[in-house]
Amino acid sequence: MAAHCESGSLTALLKHKGLEITEPMIFGLGSGLYFGYLSRTPNLNFPMFILRTKPGKLRKKIAKRTDIKFKIQRFRDQNNAELELDRLIGEGIPVACQVDFYYMDYIPQWERVHANIHFITVIGKEGDEYLLSDSYYPKIARIHKDNLRKARFAGGYLAPKGFMYYIESVPKKIDYEKLIPLSVKNTINNMIGVQPPFIGVRGIRTFAKKLLGWPKLTRDIDHLSHEVMKINVFLEDQGTGGGGFRFLYATFLRQASEILNNIELDDMSKKMMEIGDGWRNISYFAAKIGKNRDLGPEKLEELGQMINERADAEEAFYTELKTVVSNI
Amino acid sequence: MKEKDAYIDYEPQQLIMYVEKEDGTFGPIQTGSYITKNYLDDFWEKMMKLRNSLLEKLKRNEITPIYFYKLIHDFNNVELSRRTGIPVFRVKRHQNVKSFRKIKLSDLYKYAYAFDIPVSNLFQAIVVEDNENKAETDALNQPIIVKQKRTENPFVVITKIESNKK
Repeated sequence: MAAHCESGSLTALLKHKGLEITEPMIFGLGSGLYFGYLSRTPNLNFPMFILRTKPGKLRKKIAKRTDIKFKIQRFRDQNNAELELDRLIGEGIPVACQVDFYYMDYIPQWERVHANIHFITVIGKEGDEYLLSDSYYPKIARIHKDNLRKARFAGGYLAPKGFMYYIESVPKKIDYEKLIPLSVKNTINNMIGVQPPFIGVRGIRTFAKKLLGWPKLTRDIDHLSHEVMKINVFLEDQGTGGGGFRFLYATFLRQASEILNNIELDDMSKKMMEIGDGWRNISYFAAKIGKNRDLGPEKLEELGQMINERADAEEAFYTELKTVVSNI
Repeated sequence: MKEKDAYIDYEPQQLIMYVEKEDGTFGPIQTGSYITKNYLDDFWEKMMKLRNSLLEKLKRNEITPIYFYKLIHDFNNVELSRRTGIPVFRVKRHQNVKSFRKIKLSDLYKYAYAFDIPVSNLFQAIVVEDNENKAETDALNQPIIVKQKRTENPFVVITKIESNKK
């Protein structure tokens, strides 16, 4: 298992190739931490917030910043996609595939939603079933080939189009001294740099403000409750490592401080852990008021206030982190 | 998050959480899902209410099966259009009760594929009385299991109703 499907599958493939690296380090070096509030897009039924960079970006940044060579493939023809996957796993090469999470039928029914941004690692095939490793499933899972085909070729937003990749080569050494400050600066820029108002810390504040308008966007109180309780799911359950990826990033900062022997980064890791605790409180609160249908303006304002406090805490954090990282 | 505060005893849905461990180090633990453990019943209740209210509308011919499944799968018109390859204006038209009568079989097939159901389910609702109190709970725990097996004919499905021996 892993905290997050994209960083988890990437870490697993790298370890298989002989590179010892942790999931938080992959997440941090790929500048995965993010915040975005998406309210107006034809792709979404309802406003949502994102806590990590766009799917695929993590891998692209890792590829650009290190000398890890990825072999990436997309397919028009479903048969070709299956044949190529079979060939690779036949040669003992584990392959990461992008899929629609809904078709992962080994996952409990309540968890499965249509999301074309899930990554699994296919490691073998027995008869008509593929064997795979999924970050959100504690054992080796099995999936029928027809289901995997549907999942790999589901249409819709961010359609996978048979996307898969494996690792061709890894470098002997990663230059952490150079890459850690670079990746941290990138994250700081994402969060407090010049960004549109729905991105970064400004995005967190937008979320707090727009949340008050959610009742107007919902069909009824049950729908509103469902959407508010999804705040908990987005922050904790959908592969974040807890606290909306903040615990994962805190662990990255801790590991970075050990590599660079930098006590200030260690202090920042503790602060990030506390920020994550604040997000976890928000997720508990959202679940509670959603369950109780206690969703009047006062409660939503209270929730918005808690989110605004996170924005203030994160703004202060990244400002301080900027100073710390500029001294490295 | 301190390690001792992070553990949730819930085996059906496990996840990885990064925590501050007893010795002060940061690292992963495997734990259960807080929201599923505490609020899964509420989720099923909401889903059941939504499904039943839509089914009533469907029975009164106020909505079309396309609209029914669109809401169940939480798609919007653009997403449904992308998943079926049917233009948005026709997706909208197919949610109109009068226009639905003129729908092509080939379009129904595309919808059924996107909704991951047999085409025949666009014209029927299979309700099992014994399951009614658990109508939307985990299929594995329902007393009666309805299995639908596809055939080589894309428009024919075999529906088997079995008691759950589990």
